[in-house]
Amino acid sequence: MGALKQVRLSGFGGQGVVLAGTILGHGAVKDGKWVAGSSSYGAQARGGSARADVVVSDRPIVFPHVIEANVLAAMAQTAYDKYTEQLARGATVIYDDELVRPRSIDGAIQIGVPATSTAIKLLNQQQSANIVILGAIAVITGIVSKGALSSAIEENVSERFKDLNIRALELGYKLGEADKQ
Amino acid sequence: MGDHLIFVQGNEACVEAALYAGLGFFAGYPITPSTEIAELLSLRLPQRGGKFIQMEDEIASMCAIIGASLTGLKSMTATSGPGFSLKQEAIGYAIMTEVPCVVVSVMRGGPSTGLPTKVSQGDVMQARWGTHGDHAVIALTASNHQDLFAITVEAFNLAETYRTPVILLFDEVIGHMREKLIVPEPGEIPLVQRLRTSVREGTDYHPYLPREDGRLPMSDFGGVHRYNVTGLMHDMWGFPTDNPQVAYGLMRHLFDKIEGHVTEIARMKEFFLDDAETVLISYGSAARSALHVVENRRARGERMGLLELQTLWPFPSGAVRERCNQAKFVVVVEMNMGQILLEVKKAVDDPERVFLANRIDGTFISPTDIRNILRVIQGKGV
Repeated sequence: MGALKQVRLSGFGGQGVVLAGTILGHGAVKDGKWVAGSSSYGAQARGGSARADVVVSDRPIVFPHVIEANVLAAMAQTAYDKYTEQLARGATVIYDDELVRPRSIDGAIQIGVPATSTAIKLLNQQQSANIVILGAIAVITGIVSKGALSSAIEENVSERFKDLNIRALELGYKLGEADKQ
Repeated sequence: MGDHLIFVQGNEACVEAALYAGLGFFAGYPITPSTEIAELLSLRLPQRGGKFIQMEDEIASMCAIIGASLTGLKSMTATSGPGFSLKQEAIGYAIMTEVPCVVVSVMRGGPSTGLPTKVSQGDVMQARWGTHGDHAVIALTASNHQDLFAITVEAFNLAETYRTPVILLFDEVIGHMREKLIVPEPGEIPLVQRLRTSVREGTDYHPYLPREDGRLPMSDFGGVHRYNVTGLMHDMWGFPTDNPQVAYGLMRHLFDKIEGHVTEIARMKEFFLDDAETVLISYGSAARSALHVVENRRARGERMGLLELQTLWPFPSGAVRERCNQAKFVVVVEMNMGQILLEVKKAVDDPERVFLANRIDGTFISPTDIRNILRVIQGKGV
């Protein structure tokens, strides 16, 4: 991985993008990376746009916020429309293909992932879509190892949701692998 | 990897550090963006045998930590702008009665309720002059979680050493951002323990009679010695007096014990200052944006450096003057209307060379913001 990657997870409040950002960041720390994570802070709990920024680097991070995302995950159309305006050249955009209709973006690699529909169909739990998409991001970008992500889920998710989230992560990995090929 | 490596918010790092320093009592009234400090301590402090109280308001919280500290516990409260205002009178009481304690203020946009969830550095002067009367104060800050941990421990150490409230002025960006924190092993950072009197029970104890080194040994209030504590001007027994000689002596003592130790209290970090023609001076989260600019300019051969202040009060004027005297431009980067700018202007030989790069709209100042202002200052156009 290069020196510094700016990752932005976005969606609307309630989808769990802030938790996904925390898990991603915590996982990267477990991989030995330097990480700065910040998220939208306000009345996003029910609707409204939510965002989690995670800057990952091999060396200490000076400016801690995302300026131009190298990786953008969008779980809502409004988030996609807004944050695709702030992409680095050659960025990877991973979107929930049921919730987002992509537009063509020069130089960006765009990958649709059925995160929400998979969470509903295979886990019977829409709330797990955040971890499904996180698994896909991990495989596609290689930004964080699977072991570290699983371990971060263990530490950041309450006991009764751990198994569900680990299964969600596995599903995300499979979706990501399929897209990679 | 052990338990000592964690990925936490700045507020959580502050909690870890306070526990590391031996915090025994916390009273507070939660307020954004400092809430996580109270929230986490309500769980963690009782687990360690400490006491946590959510008080009815910020005034009571400040008074409670003064009382608890007098009984011998390391004490802390945490708040933000409006709550920090409410605490000011009692902070003055802690200064006057020489009670060690730590007051955290995680700065948000003001004045008044302002921008509760947004960043600012607008309380620097409130930390200095928020309470009435002539006084000296210690205020510290940090720009990343590892430093924040060390500075928080330092705050407890300085509070005990100088028997004074120490203010930790963090900001919303640092308070809420998550970063890696390596919690040091016990003993890795030295801790200053309460200096207790050796005067035995039944012998006359003078609570306000400084030793030759200026330090005042304490006796746990409610313990073996009876003594008086008052916000009035007081003598060595702690009883009120308006004797001008005693009042003068106490005022000098309160001032000199801090202002006379500026060098010992001063904490700062220097980046590329040796040959810097442009010196940026910053602190807290703004210092990270400033360092980003400095590193990029250095890579292009420009002689630019950064002085990051961790001690804001007492202001390290001598050190600032020394770092700035070779500079063509000095640029203070802060998220207010120029509160540290004024101190830098007072400190340097040529205040005309000192400029401000700021942001006051609740948005974290970015490297681009600083670069735009630098272009104007360096005469390269807008």
